[in-house]
Amino acid sequence: MKRTYLGEFEEIVLLTVAILQDKAYGVSITEEIEQQTGRSVSVSAVHAALHRLEEKGMVSSWMGEATAERGGRRKRMFVVSALGNRTLDEIRLLRNRMWEAIPLHIFSTLPV
Amino acid sequence: MKTSPPRWADRLLEWFCAPHLLEEVQGDLYERFQKNLRVFGPVIARREYVRGVLGFIRPFALKRKPAFSPSFNIQIMISNYFKIAWRNIRRDTQFTFLNLVGLAIGLTSSLLIYLWVNNELNVDKYNEHDAQLFQVLQNIPQENKIETAEYTAGMLATSLAAEMPEITYATAVVPASWFASKGIVNVGETKLKAKGQFVGAGYLKMFSCNFLQGDKNTALNGKHAVAISDELAMKLFHTTQNIIGKSIEWNQNEFNGAYMITAIFEKNQPNVSEPFDILFNFDLFVEKRPGMLDWRNSDPRTYIMLKEGTNIEAFNAKIRNYLKTKEKDSKRELLIRPFADKYLYGQYNNGVQAGGRITYVRLFSAIALFILLIACINFMNLSTAKASQRMKEVGVKKVVGASRSSLVLQYISESVLMSFLAFFIAIGLIFVLLPAFNDITGKNLFENFTPKVMLSMIGITLLAGLLAGSYPALYISGFNPVAVLKGKLRTSIGELWVRRGLVVFQFTLSIAFIAGVMVIYKQINYIQSKNLGYSRDHVVHFEIPLEMDSVKINTAISFINELKNIPGVVNAASYYHNLTGDHGGISGFQWPGKDPTRDFDLANLEVGPNFLETMNIKIKEGRNFSKNPTTEIIFNETAIKQMGLKNPIGKTIKYWDRERQIVGIAEDFNFESLYEGVKPCFFQIYPVMPNVLVRLQAGNEQQTLSRIQQAYAQFNKGMAFEYKFLDDDYQALYVSENRVAVLSKYFAGLAIIISCLGLFGLAAFTAQRRQKEIGIRKVVGATVTNLAFMLSKDFFRLVGIALVIALPLVAWAAKEWLTNFAYRTTIGFEIYLITALSIALITLLTVSYQAIKAALTNPVKTLKTE
Repeated sequence: MKRTYLGEFEEIVLLTVAILQDKAYGVSITEEIEQQTGRSVSVSAVHAALHRLEEKGMVSSWMGEATAERGGRRKRMFVVSALGNRTLDEIRLLRNRMWEAIPLHIFSTLPV
Repeated sequence: MKTSPPRWADRLLEWFCAPHLLEEVQGDLYERFQKNLRVFGPVIARREYVRGVLGFIRPFALKRKPAFSPSFNIQIMISNYFKIAWRNIRRDTQFTFLNLVGLAIGLTSSLLIYLWVNNELNVDKYNEHDAQLFQVLQNIPQENKIETAEYTAGMLATSLAAEMPEITYATAVVPASWFASKGIVNVGETKLKAKGQFVGAGYLKMFSCNFLQGDKNTALNGKHAVAISDELAMKLFHTTQNIIGKSIEWNQNEFNGAYMITAIFEKNQPNVSEPFDILFNFDLFVEKRPGMLDWRNSDPRTYIMLKEGTNIEAFNAKIRNYLKTKEKDSKRELLIRPFADKYLYGQYNNGVQAGGRITYVRLFSAIALFILLIACINFMNLSTAKASQRMKEVGVKKVVGASRSSLVLQYISESVLMSFLAFFIAIGLIFVLLPAFNDITGKNLFENFTPKVMLSMIGITLLAGLLAGSYPALYISGFNPVAVLKGKLRTSIGELWVRRGLVVFQFTLSIAFIAGVMVIYKQINYIQSKNLGYSRDHVVHFEIPLEMDSVKINTAISFINELKNIPGVVNAASYYHNLTGDHGGISGFQWPGKDPTRDFDLANLEVGPNFLETMNIKIKEGRNFSKNPTTEIIFNETAIKQMGLKNPIGKTIKYWDRERQIVGIAEDFNFESLYEGVKPCFFQIYPVMPNVLVRLQAGNEQQTLSRIQQAYAQFNKGMAFEYKFLDDDYQALYVSENRVAVLSKYFAGLAIIISCLGLFGLAAFTAQRRQKEIGIRKVVGATVTNLAFMLSKDFFRLVGIALVIALPLVAWAAKEWLTNFAYRTTIGFEIYLITALSIALITLLTVSYQAIKAALTNPVKTLKTE
């Protein structure tokens, strides 16, 4: 299967961008991940992942509006690109196919 | 309690973080800090902030974005220029077509001329020691002028080399063209005509002649040693291997006999002006023609090689009176000229260099330049006229911040693009036209397509593009953006004058071309129909092999007598040399009452019996040669006049060791080109000579010729019968004038076409610009004739001005050119009248189409939109 390899954290960030739709930027993504996974995430890690995703063409970005609590600095807003969408789709299909390939008796012993 | 992030951490972040990321990174950290502040209090918030900042010490945040490079910027700009240029080219096809066709025709003509000029300039430049090679010429004082001759005394080379320390080598050369006919090489059954050249000992050391076999130092040692070209060797032996030492038979006048091949050389380059197939030893020439030892006779050419650094002027002064040391009474003076100048600077006037072929090289270079200029002017005119349509583009660009220089660059790159499109069309056209061009020029110019030439062609194209683009670029880029964007059409008086000036200039050149071509044609026609003093129509001539033994001479004599009896033949005779310029000269005549301080050369026409009758040369006084003419001589009128003889008939004349009695005076006739006046000459009779002249009855020449051929086949078995009409020879004499005439005719035509394309475009543009005016005028009641006249009037005025400028120029140039000829046609008023009328007609046709089209347009169409 030929596609750009996504690391686990990258995949999570990409999914989060998708969830947040047009409200995705550094802080909102960080908070969403923290909420969804319950683990603490540093802003810099999210930025780094976003940077890599943008280089891979999975997301595109533009400079959004500024707010007072940011000291008047603008946000960089992210949105999943077409390639990012397709990649997520492919990951999901792959996972689904593999889940369905697991024999039922083993499946029943797996923790739910 | 502090409610802001730690300053040091902020500073750290600002220091290490890449500038293009700083805003978002710092913003996100601040936002996080504010939330932490609300939830956890300042201590944790500040701690978390520091951790956050430190977390960004990662490669991606540290890495600076590469600075936007200026060269990349320019690249984008230039590609944008070409994009816009391409769109403009496609937007208005008529305009593009006019421009492109004009430029392509201009480039084609000037590149063709460039090829030819390049070829001409390289003639005889094939020698390694070119800079040291010189030819010795002699100035021969004649009655009222000085003649400069290429032929010199036979011993001159050897004695100069021995006496002048400046000379490294010297050689006498008798070129193949000296002989009236080519020699015949004979090996077994193979008989071939070949060009034999006699050269002295120094020749091979002086001139570059690539030896394939044989030794340059020993080849041509011995009077019967010859070197032959590989081409001739292939024809004779079908190989170039193992030929050294073989023998060939040579038939040419007194040089008949067997010769041994001692060397094989590579055949002449195409740029050799006096080509040869076989090299003979000059010593043999001297042996067979002992007259060579006499300093009063002049036959071979003399070439010398000077030591490097020799002062040419000093050397010229040194040899000027050299001939006096050999022959006390000699009035002749020697001078030298660079060997390679022989071809281009062959003409002397009263002993002073007076051009030659270089005149035509210069003339055509000027024509090429002018044609290119006309094409460029077209481009300038059409582009500036069109500029009004691109005002908005320029205005917007300027407002956005384009500098004037970048706009200039843009418009110049547009014209360069056009010129290169035209260049590709031109290269295609050149390859199509070159065979025909080769025919006209008598050269093979395909050989001239060297990388260097191609590079210069690209250079010429680039130059044309820059020239054509310069004025429009400066003009368009000078628009005032405010005025332009408001929609004001700025047509200043100055701009109008420039455009008019350019049209006048273009048409001045075109008119000069038309009138010039007519003058050249008139002169050439005049020369070719002039009465030469003999009649050259229906005369054929051919060569017969002649050997100096009495039996063979007698068969030759009976062959000529036989020719006279062939039905259809009016008369037949033989002669040496030819009637178009090549003949020897003799000085030192003695006649009764001769002033001993005066001497001049007389052309020596050696002819067989019956020559004067055959050529219809009239005897003015006295009588023709008798049956036994060995002591008789006939002079022409000019000779008698120059000698100052009263009652010349019966007087005795001495020359060489001969005494002759004047029996008659021939009416003057032209035996050289009409550049020269009639020179003094005399006839002496020999029993038979190697060139046969036959005058045919008009009407059934072909039949008669086949009968002559039968007789020839019987007389000289194995040789093909090759004849020429004297008339054709005469045409060949003016071959360079004919070439100039034909070429200038074509190029004048092209120049006119290009000018008309420009005029057509301008007329179309004016008509378009004045659409509304025309519409209103029509509504108010103007007739089509009125309008067409109004639109054409301006252009006619410009052409009129061009006529006023061009015609006096042509009149002056024509007068200068015609002074080259001893016999010249009169240039009357009619040539200028025809020129004026034809240019008026051309203008009318070009302009009126647009004018009438505009005048016929329905005014409703042009007036309904505003």
